[in-house]
Amino acid sequence: MSGHHISSAKFLWGVALALFVLTFITVAVTWIQIPEPWNIVVAIAIAVVKALIVVAFFMNLWWDSKFNVLLFIMSIAFFLLLIGITLLDTLYRVDPVPSF
Amino acid sequence: MSQPSATEERLEHLKHYFIDSDQQFEASKMGMWVFLVTEILFFGGLFLAYIVYRAWYPELYLLASEELHTFWGAVNTVVLIGSSLTVAMAIRSAQLNQIKGLIINLWITIGLACVFMVIKYFEYAEKFGKGILPGGYYTYEGIEHEQANIFFSIYYMMTGLHGIHVLVGIGLMLWLVYKAKKKVFHSGYYTPVEITGLYWHLVDIIWIFLFPLLYLID
Repeated sequence: MSGHHISSAKFLWGVALALFVLTFITVAVTWIQIPEPWNIVVAIAIAVVKALIVVAFFMNLWWDSKFNVLLFIMSIAFFLLLIGITLLDTLYRVDPVPSF
Repeated sequence: MSQPSATEERLEHLKHYFIDSDQQFEASKMGMWVFLVTEILFFGGLFLAYIVYRAWYPELYLLASEELHTFWGAVNTVVLIGSSLTVAMAIRSAQLNQIKGLIINLWITIGLACVFMVIKYFEYAEKFGKGILPGGYYTYEGIEHEQANIFFSIYYMMTGLHGIHVLVGIGLMLWLVYKAKKKVFHSGYYTPVEITGLYWHLVDIIWIFLFPLLYLID
């Protein structure tokens, strides 16, 4: 019965509250100017945490079959592969696409 | 097994090629996750375009992002997270056989989705008015950068595709309301509600990334 996890209303509200708080934090950290690469790192890190909370507790992957978890992980892995291989090209061009 | 349960089990939804409701439910959900994988890679291409161009023109992103209103982006984030909550509540209602609660939660979700689209409409309208249009139609003079149109092409592609997904979600949930009113769903069969919920949460996740990447970099 892995697919029929029933969350309590209190739990769902708790998850939403955590997401609201993290949304506030991600806006609040832009008020204190964090130096260059770290502001991006912090913003992405908070977004990743929020996304994982949604995936685990709203999309119920936490209680779901391991195969669905595997599907999700593989999609992220191939997305990272796509980014990595493309950047190996675009980051090391002498002349980025000239007129575009 | 030989004892018939007190409340007679409804099985009209069960296709003959499945052993039981659970197997049918699990198969549908797995199919949806496969679709969500393709969605992640579909949006992934656009996120990649964002990354490649940000690496090429970092200063452009900082300048152009100032045209976006952080406040309205934040409001839309809260609206979408709220709608994710109500979808999760709708699924919970269906699991508990509370069809009235299911319909109410679906209507709230549809309402929040419409709020999101209305805010997006005003954001787009304001930019169109200034001449901030995608690609070759870009005529705005306010950003000191030759390639300012590139940022907004990426902005319109990402938020536009996301907006289309929100519209599709509204359509799906109207269909769910129609089905729920016809008493199709009950605690033994709510697969379409669960599947649409998964879709809606993914749309929420995409926005969770779009908000900091587009609005919060100035």
